[in-house]
Amino acid sequence: MIAILNAYRFRARLPINRAVRVLVGLTAALLLALGWSAASGALGISPWGLLSGQADPLSVQVWWQLRLPRLLLGVAVGAMLAGSGAAMQGLFRNPLADPTLLGLASGAGLFVAVWIVLFQDSGAGSLYGQFAAGFLGALCVCLIVFGIAKRQGGGSAAVMTLLLAGLAINTLAGAGGGVLAFIASDEQLRQLSLWGMGTLTNALWRTTALALVLIAIALWLLMRSARELDLLQLGESTAHAAGLDAARLKRRVVVATSLGVGLCVALTGVIGFLGLLVPHCLRLWLGPGHRLLLPASMLGGALLLVVADTLARTVAAPAEIPVGLLTSLLGGPYFLYLLMRRNRAC
Amino acid sequence: MLTLHQAGLTTTPSIAPLDGTIRPGELLAIVGPNGAGKSTLLSMLSGFRRAEQGELRLDGKPLNEWPIAELANRRALVAQQELPGFDWQTDELLSLGSNPAKSLVAALLDDLDLTHLAKRSVLSLSGGERQRVMIARGACQLLSRGSPTAKDGGLLLLDEPTSALDIGQQQRLMRQLRAWAEQHRIAIVCVLHDLNLASTYADRVWLLHQGERIDHGLPNQVLNPQIIADIYGAELQHIEGRRHGKPLLALMP
Repeated sequence: MIAILNAYRFRARLPINRAVRVLVGLTAALLLALGWSAASGALGISPWGLLSGQADPLSVQVWWQLRLPRLLLGVAVGAMLAGSGAAMQGLFRNPLADPTLLGLASGAGLFVAVWIVLFQDSGAGSLYGQFAAGFLGALCVCLIVFGIAKRQGGGSAAVMTLLLAGLAINTLAGAGGGVLAFIASDEQLRQLSLWGMGTLTNALWRTTALALVLIAIALWLLMRSARELDLLQLGESTAHAAGLDAARLKRRVVVATSLGVGLCVALTGVIGFLGLLVPHCLRLWLGPGHRLLLPASMLGGALLLVVADTLARTVAAPAEIPVGLLTSLLGGPYFLYLLMRRNRAC
Repeated sequence: MLTLHQAGLTTTPSIAPLDGTIRPGELLAIVGPNGAGKSTLLSMLSGFRRAEQGELRLDGKPLNEWPIAELANRRALVAQQELPGFDWQTDELLSLGSNPAKSLVAALLDDLDLTHLAKRSVLSLSGGERQRVMIARGACQLLSRGSPTAKDGGLLLLDEPTSALDIGQQQRLMRQLRAWAEQHRIAIVCVLHDLNLASTYADRVWLLHQGERIDHGLPNQVLNPQIIADIYGAELQHIEGRRHGKPLLALMP
């Protein structure tokens, strides 16, 4: 959080006071949400009890081993999805772009499904395997998409090609998922469908810690691209003359996004619409400049996912609703509303 | 200063090799019929399309050896009308790609009659207003760099800067370009469709036809009614400007 604020402060020449107010406000809201989330759940644990050491050992165990990693994973995944949504929208100069659009999420999802159905054993390595599969899936999609785009050369044709390649990959991944569901055992099918709906239940320290580090790197790469994403909005040839290396920018954003999103999908399944909803709302409020929009989206995404996840695990406690269902129920109608309203350009 | 040594492009759209020098403080017009390669040539001058033959040198150093960020301090491009991504505020858009002082932004907005639009969103502007905003941004990029050398203010490349402007704004813009060129020692290259604008405001003219520069020199030499009528396939009549002595071309009914 501090790193994000600092990264912003060093390059700002914008209305700095407003930017700081916005980021501090969002951070405060996120901390409040985390406090609320930490205290609520199937097992009520008061933060004061934890701090003063008066809580019983079971509660302490549950809090440290289950709830804390889950909170941190929620923050990381929310920030990653919304941040990469904002970056993708900037890259495609289109407010409807989203990591799922490029096929990254579904490609990662397909690989994870393949892992679950064909390779998973019940050993301790299974979570790491899932993790690696998602990572690999997003990377493959990334390489395929870029291989196709490279042949087309630069210009707006390349962007169109990227979008179409994403569409093809989404279709392919959907079909592949269908085949896997067909051959899966009942147990695997249940696991697949639960994971596919998107949930933060899998948060364990051993995977979360690694995910946090990798996601932090991906977020840092995106933050470094903010000024260049601003420049890209001038159009490719004008931006080139204004000092932008568009090829390098594309490479960096797509690699950061695919790694981060691949990780998120492997750990939590597909949590939809976060990458579309959060940057879009924030852009209406803050304007299109990425130096503010990117960190604000990351904070906003984390906030939204933490709140949604807390609701998901408390509304029907002790049962748990997959948080992906909640975000899709929120985001789907909003997306339709956007499409219906969107008659003017951009 | 930009110099060309037999610089050209071999892949279509191609440009036949040409020599030339574009000097600080001058306004060079590139004219020619549709599809003559004007925008392609401009793209080559900016370095976006690399010369495939010969060489371009900016301030003595080959164009493709300049680091892309440093090059941005020496030359700016305003491409043909393209909508900016997302809804920027006019004064924000001006600052994209550079870190201008507020006074510079204000001065440029004033130069192009945009002050009253400073806080408007760019997508709500008219085509002509937006065109002037993009030109102001290009100028801002050149003028905001750290320490301008007194002798050479860099290179400003404009692709059809007057295409959406009314005649009053055309005059205002062309006069402003001349003023920038002289005050800041900027070399300005304009692709122009209006030959009379080229004749009235340019120091020199390059005439392009089918990817080849077929003539270059002073406007009244290059804009010869006979040749122009030939390559444009238009019937023209030649009017000598009474007060300023610049040749004008009018369409025959």
